[in-house]
Amino acid sequence: MDNVLEVTGLTTRFSKESGTVTVVDQLDLHVKKGETLGIVGESGCGKSVTSLSLMRLLDDNATLTGSIRFNGKEVLALSEAEMRSLRGKEMAMIFQEPMHSLNPVLTIGRQISEVLHEHEDESKAAVKQRVLDLLTVVGISRAEEIYRDYPHRLSGGMRQRVMIAMAIACNPSLLIADEPTTALDVTIQAQILNLIKKIRRDIGMSVIMITHDLGVVAEVCDRVIVMYAGQAIETADVRSLLRNPKHPYTVGLLQSTPRQRTKRLHSIKGSVPTPENKPNGCRFAPRCDRAMAICWERNPVLRPVDQHSSCRCWLFTQDKDHEQESSVIGG
Amino acid sequence: MNEVSKTVAHGATHANSPIFPKLAFWEKIKKQRAAKLSLVVLLLISAIGIVGPWIAPYDPTESNYEAFLQGPSAKHVLGTDAIGRDLFSRILYGTRVTLVVAVMAVGITVSAGTMIGVISAYMGGFIDHLLMRIMDILLALPGIILALAIVAALGPSQTNAMIAIGISSIPSFARLIRAATLVIMSSGYVEASRSIGTPSWWIILFQVLPNITNVLFVYMTLFVGGAILDTAALGFIGLGAQPPTPEWGTMLNEGKDYLSDAWWLATYPGLAITIVVLAVNRLGDALRDIFDPRTQK
Amino acid sequence: MTTPILEVKGLRKLFRMKKGWLQQPHDVHALNGIDVSVYEGETLGIVGESGCGKSTLGKCILRLLEPVQGEIRFQGKEIGKMNKNEMRAVRRNMQMVFQNPFETLNPKLTIGHILTEPLISHGIPREQRQALLEETIEIVGMSKQHLSRYPHEFSGGQRQRIGIARALILRPKLIIADEPVSALDVSIQSQILNLLQDLQEQFSLTYVFISHDLSVVEHIADKVAVMYLGEIIEYAEKEKLFGRPLHPYTQALLSAKPITDPDDTREQIVLSGDLPSPSNPPKGCKFHPRCRSSMEICKVELPKLSEIEGQSVACHLYQSFPAIDPS
Repeated sequence: MDNVLEVTGLTTRFSKESGTVTVVDQLDLHVKKGETLGIVGESGCGKSVTSLSLMRLLDDNATLTGSIRFNGKEVLALSEAEMRSLRGKEMAMIFQEPMHSLNPVLTIGRQISEVLHEHEDESKAAVKQRVLDLLTVVGISRAEEIYRDYPHRLSGGMRQRVMIAMAIACNPSLLIADEPTTALDVTIQAQILNLIKKIRRDIGMSVIMITHDLGVVAEVCDRVIVMYAGQAIETADVRSLLRNPKHPYTVGLLQSTPRQRTKRLHSIKGSVPTPENKPNGCRFAPRCDRAMAICWERNPVLRPVDQHSSCRCWLFTQDKDHEQESSVIGG
Repeated sequence: MNEVSKTVAHGATHANSPIFPKLAFWEKIKKQRAAKLSLVVLLLISAIGIVGPWIAPYDPTESNYEAFLQGPSAKHVLGTDAIGRDLFSRILYGTRVTLVVAVMAVGITVSAGTMIGVISAYMGGFIDHLLMRIMDILLALPGIILALAIVAALGPSQTNAMIAIGISSIPSFARLIRAATLVIMSSGYVEASRSIGTPSWWIILFQVLPNITNVLFVYMTLFVGGAILDTAALGFIGLGAQPPTPEWGTMLNEGKDYLSDAWWLATYPGLAITIVVLAVNRLGDALRDIFDPRTQK
Repeated sequence: MTTPILEVKGLRKLFRMKKGWLQQPHDVHALNGIDVSVYEGETLGIVGESGCGKSTLGKCILRLLEPVQGEIRFQGKEIGKMNKNEMRAVRRNMQMVFQNPFETLNPKLTIGHILTEPLISHGIPREQRQALLEETIEIVGMSKQHLSRYPHEFSGGQRQRIGIARALILRPKLIIADEPVSALDVSIQSQILNLLQDLQEQFSLTYVFISHDLSVVEHIADKVAVMYLGEIIEYAEKEKLFGRPLHPYTQALLSAKPITDPDDTREQIVLSGDLPSPSNPPKGCKFHPRCRSSMEICKVELPKLSEIEGQSVACHLYQSFPAIDPS
């Protein structure tokens, strides 16, 4: 298989005044060429920290362990300078609020040109033409006009298009999209999701889509990782996950989504544990309707359930006695 | 829906933990060396202000006709002045005078300034306009000139200096508080209160005031530094505490004529003023850094 | 179901914008003649995208913002012209739940203090307060131990429960909920929606439920009004509106909503272009630049809300030929 990204045992810890907090815990993932991987979870599950870890964009108080292999290179072993040339060129990222990532005093054209200059040597006119092409690719019809415009004059949807243009400027092999449509209205969200799908097809890049919305996952992803309290708790192809979810948390999430037919919604009791107060056993046990005695004692491991999906749950672990040694992970 | 009641609320998960961060506050002060030093200096000076009269070796107003203009010696640590009064004792006594004037003046500024600022921001419209235009007019004069005018009108004395200094900084204080209040006024919880039909006094007392105390505290500290300087300035030009009261500004004035013969007369009161003002301002800056998230890294 | 508990007629709200002191101020029509009514025990859902005026409508009903024109009748009484004291009495029966439970609870006050505020404001005698506090906090699924804590000690869902308790403590008739679940995670969102439904049954509450999220509105509302740039463009019972959306905008909204069905084969209508700025709306039908069924008349004439088989829609497609097939 042709994997663009292979992550094994990624652990992200933050050192705080009160001690060390593990936000991402032993995460394994891979992204194939041209594939869209979704990382879903609620706030505090560690999905955004995962994306920032992949780009090594975290502050100094974060320590990363494990391995991130990207196009055959070990990302965690790269120097800061090598990392800089990797970001944007081979691995690009778009965020929830594009306004934070755009410089308010520079024109759109200038900002996209800068990305191109940083990574490629071309003449001024050629660069401008590339920028205009890029703006057209992301569906901005008045490219010449927008080229000279400032970020604050654009709507949220337009800004996100500009961000996408900047991200794909150097034909990256991986695009990490962190809640790219959360701040947008539904009709604009539909436009942006379609755009991401189209670009992925056209330039054959891989995408990691980070979102809290299972609807977005259904629209764009091929495979999904569900995260809870810093760990992957289920991973499957998108069909199996939505049609036949395994983990009680995934089941609960799907049933919590409002639908007209049901009079009462299913709800998951309680709330997500903070990284400081994780339960000892399975992290979902306190909120789980099907929790058993063992769930409170030991955290299960992520293991394949069938050919489609893997799940971190004691319900799907038949011979519990042989789990003794592996269950130590993650405690 | 009742399961949730059993789950215990988790600890503060938000970076801007909203409750007054009492413990965190001392932790932060401890980390800033300059602030810690200023705090120690101020505590020491306040202690001197309280116990100064008891530890002073001499009466600060009693002349010793055998010791005119003596330089620092074992008998008179900081020397004596033109009529033989012990400079060290006078500075010790003067600490109390200066601190009392400054603190009382700031008390006047803070109480009136907060009232005007909050009312102005809360009422808005015509009242806001009126109050702020009055403040603007007062702001057009430098604070010390305004203070001078007030003392000139009331007559020079320690009490009048206090009032004058207090009043002269009301306009700038009121403006700062008004700005802080406007921020709170636009917050969600004030809107929520209004939607309930809560009376104004409740909103001011329980929604606005508790949320501007941090700002108020910081500005207050910064204003104390200015008030000490103003006290000394009024004393220097003879409009503050009247002789023979030992006041640092007055002492500076008396010493200036002897600069070439008796340098200690002006130097030590000047040094005292400098140290106190520096310490107060440094502490004020530190407090601002601690409370204002914008200056935090 | 004789007279509606809340009736809004021809409500208009302008915001006067002034760019520089030399420029002429111009008016932004945030609400442009809104008519809605809600009967007791019903839930009226108001949906629309950002800038459509749905929050402004909620605030105007509570008179947190003053409308410039129109009538608001609550329990048969016109409240638009009431003075402060009369309005305070009305507010006892009309409360609001806000979107952001992090911003709308004063961080410096305990939960008990926050919940006492409405009681004091409306002169509930001291003896009754404690009992009401304890009863209400338990109704929303928390415990009385929580009363002595501060907002930051609670999660988003719990804070929203506190926000609901604050609105509920005076036992109002009508609650205006402005995006009450959009700041919450899905698993918490469903808890809060269930709670709101339970409360409605228990206290026979009437809700005006404002949201951008169609699935949430579809779940909770009885009647739905779809807003676009300060106007209601479609207004009908939930089953009708979601079953057979008439207005092209409603159709697009419904089809744009991502759903968790991998085998979903519905045709997606992706609207081109952005929402126009409310300060400079297009002439004629405000939706026409993005509409795929736009006709000549749409560019000139603003369509009026008119009824087709119990479903109101403001679109020229249906005005000349009321019998047209919507699909």
